Amino acid sequence: MLQDPGMDSHLRKRTTDTQLEKDSTIPEEEPAPKASRSWFKWDIERTEWDLLLASTVLKLLLFPAYRSTDFEVHRNWLAITHSLPLSKWYYDTTSEWTLDYPPFFAYFEKLLSIPAYFIDPKIVDLSNLNYDSWSVIAYQRTTVILSELVLGAVLIKFTRSAIDTPTQRIISASIFLHPGFLIVDHIHFQYNGLLFGILLWSIFMARQGNKLASGILFAVLLNFKHIYMYLAPAYFIYLLRSFCMTPAGQPEIKNFVSLANAVIGVFLASFGPFLLMGQIPQVLSRLFPFTRGLNHAYWAPNFWALVTALDRVLLRFVERTGIDISINESGVASTSRGLVGDTIFAAIPNVKPIHTFIVTLAFQSIILVKLWRNPTYKSFLTALTLCGYTSFLFGWHVHEKAVLLFLVPLSLLAAERHAYFRTFILCSVAGIFGLFPLIFTPGESIIKVLYSIVWLVLVYVPLRRQVYEYPRSFIFVIMDMLEKVYLMGFPFLLAFVGLFPAYMSRRVNDTRTSEGQAAETSMEFLPLMVTSVYCALGIIWGYLRLLFVYLNEEKTYQGQLSAIR
Amino acid sequence: MHKRGIRGWIIPVLVLVSTLVKFCVGLGGYSGRNTPPMYGDYEAQRHWMELTLHLPFRRWYGYDLQYWGLDYPPLTAYVSWICGVVAHWINPKWVALDASRGIETETSKIFMRSTVVVWDMLIYVPALVMFVRTWQGNRSGRTQELALLTLLFQPALLLIDFGHFQYNSVMLGFTLLAMNFFATGQDLAGAVCFVLSLGFKQMALYYAPAIGSYLLAKCLYLGVPGPGFKHFTRLGVTTVFSFLVLFLPFYLPPFAPSVTSTMDPITRIFPFNRGLFEDKVANFWCASNVVLKWRERLGRSVLVKMSTGLTGLGFLPSVGTMLSAGWRMCLPATATSKRETQGEEEVAQAPFLPLLPYALLTSSFSFFLFSFQVHEKTILVPLLPITLLLSGAPVDSSVYAWGVLVNNIGVFSMWPLLKKDSLGLQYVVLLVLWNRLIGYNPLRLPSGTFVQLLSLATYAAAIGLHILEMMFTPPARYPDIYPVLNVLVSTPVFVLAWLWSIKCGIEVGWAVGGLGPASGSSSSGDSGVAGKAVIAGDDGQKEGRGVGLGYGKRKGGGRHGSLKSRTSSSSLLE
Repeated sequence: MLQDPGMDSHLRKRTTDTQLEKDSTIPEEEPAPKASRSWFKWDIERTEWDLLLASTVLKLLLFPAYRSTDFEVHRNWLAITHSLPLSKWYYDTTSEWTLDYPPFFAYFEKLLSIPAYFIDPKIVDLSNLNYDSWSVIAYQRTTVILSELVLGAVLIKFTRSAIDTPTQRIISASIFLHPGFLIVDHIHFQYNGLLFGILLWSIFMARQGNKLASGILFAVLLNFKHIYMYLAPAYFIYLLRSFCMTPAGQPEIKNFVSLANAVIGVFLASFGPFLLMGQIPQVLSRLFPFTRGLNHAYWAPNFWALVTALDRVLLRFVERTGIDISINESGVASTSRGLVGDTIFAAIPNVKPIHTFIVTLAFQSIILVKLWRNPTYKSFLTALTLCGYTSFLFGWHVHEKAVLLFLVPLSLLAAERHAYFRTFILCSVAGIFGLFPLIFTPGESIIKVLYSIVWLVLVYVPLRRQVYEYPRSFIFVIMDMLEKVYLMGFPFLLAFVGLFPAYMSRRVNDTRTSEGQAAETSMEFLPLMVTSVYCALGIIWGYLRLLFVYLNEEKTYQGQLSAIR
Repeated sequence: MHKRGIRGWIIPVLVLVSTLVKFCVGLGGYSGRNTPPMYGDYEAQRHWMELTLHLPFRRWYGYDLQYWGLDYPPLTAYVSWICGVVAHWINPKWVALDASRGIETETSKIFMRSTVVVWDMLIYVPALVMFVRTWQGNRSGRTQELALLTLLFQPALLLIDFGHFQYNSVMLGFTLLAMNFFATGQDLAGAVCFVLSLGFKQMALYYAPAIGSYLLAKCLYLGVPGPGFKHFTRLGVTTVFSFLVLFLPFYLPPFAPSVTSTMDPITRIFPFNRGLFEDKVANFWCASNVVLKWRERLGRSVLVKMSTGLTGLGFLPSVGTMLSAGWRMCLPATATSKRETQGEEEVAQAPFLPLLPYALLTSSFSFFLFSFQVHEKTILVPLLPITLLLSGAPVDSSVYAWGVLVNNIGVFSMWPLLKKDSLGLQYVVLLVLWNRLIGYNPLRLPSGTFVQLLSLATYAAAIGLHILEMMFTPPARYPDIYPVLNVLVSTPVFVLAWLWSIKCGIEVGWAVGGLGPASGSSSSGDSGVAGKAVIAGDDGQKEGRGVGLGYGKRKGGGRHGSLKSRTSSSSLLE
């Protein structure tokens, strides 16, 4: 194995004729993945046990932490799946938190509800709304920790079969310990660890060349949570081009049929019972409620956040100067409502779902064309990331939690080379900061910030040295500086977001006038807006970076993942 | 990761992670949460902020004594006052006089939790970093980091300060700073720090015999009639002066006009009118009370005398060892006069400095076991020196075995308290984390040794007790059966640890200067006693700042192997 991977990759970068050298290095490094092909081999290193223990300790300590309504949502699903027959799952409206995930997730909840019943029957009592005794908290939080082991297992697989093991170990650890999971799963409460575990298993299968399994696992994932449809175009093109066709472009009918059958089988297993009962329209209406607005309650840091912010600024401008522009009155009302509910623009023409759909598709098609031409594993991984990224940026009613959809696959590319690494750091910092408003209670806020800083240091410091490259032209130097300035802005943003509410409450206390009250209500959302706009800038810039890198990939040196066919 | 330039990041990351853990522990319960009308320690600390902020000095120690009247020394009061000022600046409602009693809003809670973390960061954490730098300055960077890891994640302190809610780390931090200054030879600064420690919490008195005897021994060591006496005078003046400064505001005429209130701070701080012990505490009195029923047989004044006498007997050996070491190693007059001319910095470390942690351990244990009015939380005081000793010890040394055992049982002895504060989860999790971090496995201790057998037996009893408690509710006749059993399991360990600390103190005393003043260094190689009192002090003083702690440098594969097995526990960093 490599003695000093940092040194080695540095040398490889310097070598112009790397193709030859790479061919000579691959055979030496290849035996490892072959040896660990067996699925149930119990090889976990001490370091990995320690990481698991440390992270579990932290997660256990977060048991008493703040929980969002998602906690009650999932408790309610336990109750629905336990106490109602299958035919009523998607019809029940006892709680306002109706079942709106695909059937596999419902089956998963059914599975969880069995031990829950033995631990405390009140957990699965349908009418026992907002139950929050210690038993249900401990039980549900434990299931999150346990189901996250799926993620841990596949990340170990990635490490074992890596070409550059030390680097992959850092990347694997960074994903397992991702602040996004800590914030969304272990504080806010969701099961993203399990879901991303399945996604990464699917990606891992693609990496090992087992594309059929990759497709099946992705179909399974879609039946757990349909938000992963954002990634589906990349899967579709990749599997069609590289699995259902020969490299020369001839169709592989046998592969195609087996893949199609497998995927249909998965969907039948999931939706079959509801198909037999004729409930498919009802299930679909639960899964796709097209009654929501462009932005979520808090604007996800995407393209539409910038557009909405622009609208707010324009409105102010119009009000101040009195320029004669037609103002949409309901839009003005929408701004004064702050961020809650539907977004209606005052100065800019309104955006309809079809617009967002077209923009998303247009950007995705650029990526997909490239993927069609170059259906390698690394290209697939980048295209997958970009697909999720595009949907996040331009999609309709995107939730800020969806940022994980591209941050996780992007992490796998982090150490590819400096351009990827830079993009990864920018997107991670902006994306994780964009998740911060999800946790607004003071105690947990300190924890989320501290944890993210520790994570960033432990990922940034070791990886940076691996991938460092000298900037090659003046433009790169300027870009580098601007990005640094942008990143330096985050501590100030954090200070602003943290101190602004205290400042406002003091001001209101001081004045106690109606003017002060009005100022408070209109300024209440300012920190959120500033956060989402500032993060959106970084995330859009990261998108352009990654898109550029993907479309103009160098042929000479490409990084460790390029070695995988 | 070391190879990749993260080296310089290790200590900042360790401190950051420990801070993160402190805040996470803070999410859990605390003393007296949601239990009107009196609440608990949390409310007491908050109440002191409120009363120091709003009242003049002279009323601090006399205000509404029934509701958590101030009964800590002045530095606590000043610290509370600073916190109160900050709280008032952020949100006056948190510390409104009387009106804020029992306030438990989300933001006020996080403010209170943050004050503990901030004071800890200002005093205890720097003191720990300084400790590994000075006392273990001649060890490798990795050993120092491991020691810091051991100290930062010590579960007992994390649970009490950041869970139960107290500011013990400030008191412990000042004592630790005093130790650090003694190690660098700045005795006067050390004395001031110890006065601050005493001035923060009277519990630091448990350390006083050790600190006092160390400073006296230092005077003896410097030569009694000449420089020793000079040193003694300086120390005395400094100590008295620092005490005066601390207490001055309560005695100066403008603040304290009435003569009667003059004694308020003193009587409030030393409550001899309370019972022999409170609740259930794992000390001699409470444990023997099960059979002997002290309080029914003897009057309070007799008990006070008995407890004082026993405590004195308890720390006498360590004081004696220390003073005799100072006396025996007394510098020859010529050397003294030479050093005298070179200035004070040259007389840096006393050769008997390694005795200090053992002396602190003996004296604090004797207070914990035998003195009057001891709380279960006070186990933190003996836990500091034993964790300091443990932090640099190799896995196969007896110091390590005892250190971890006493720490674990120390936390176990506080279980009834932690259970009441609903910190059960944190209790289990922090114990597991810390034992894993320091690579502890009782089965892998040097087999057949007394301490291993004791550890295994005690752990079995402790775990068995937990299982019993989970499965059966206590019978109506004995509602306190579990706390009493807890005391009966814990006390023997503490008594044995106290005896062990005396034994080690004597051994180290021999090792540092058994054969008289001149040959202190030559004797360090051949003492083959169980404590392995081989002193690295000589190397340390020459090469850099470092102190042997009685387990010092062991040669050969043993130490190497043990270090290796411990380092794997820090593989988190890799």
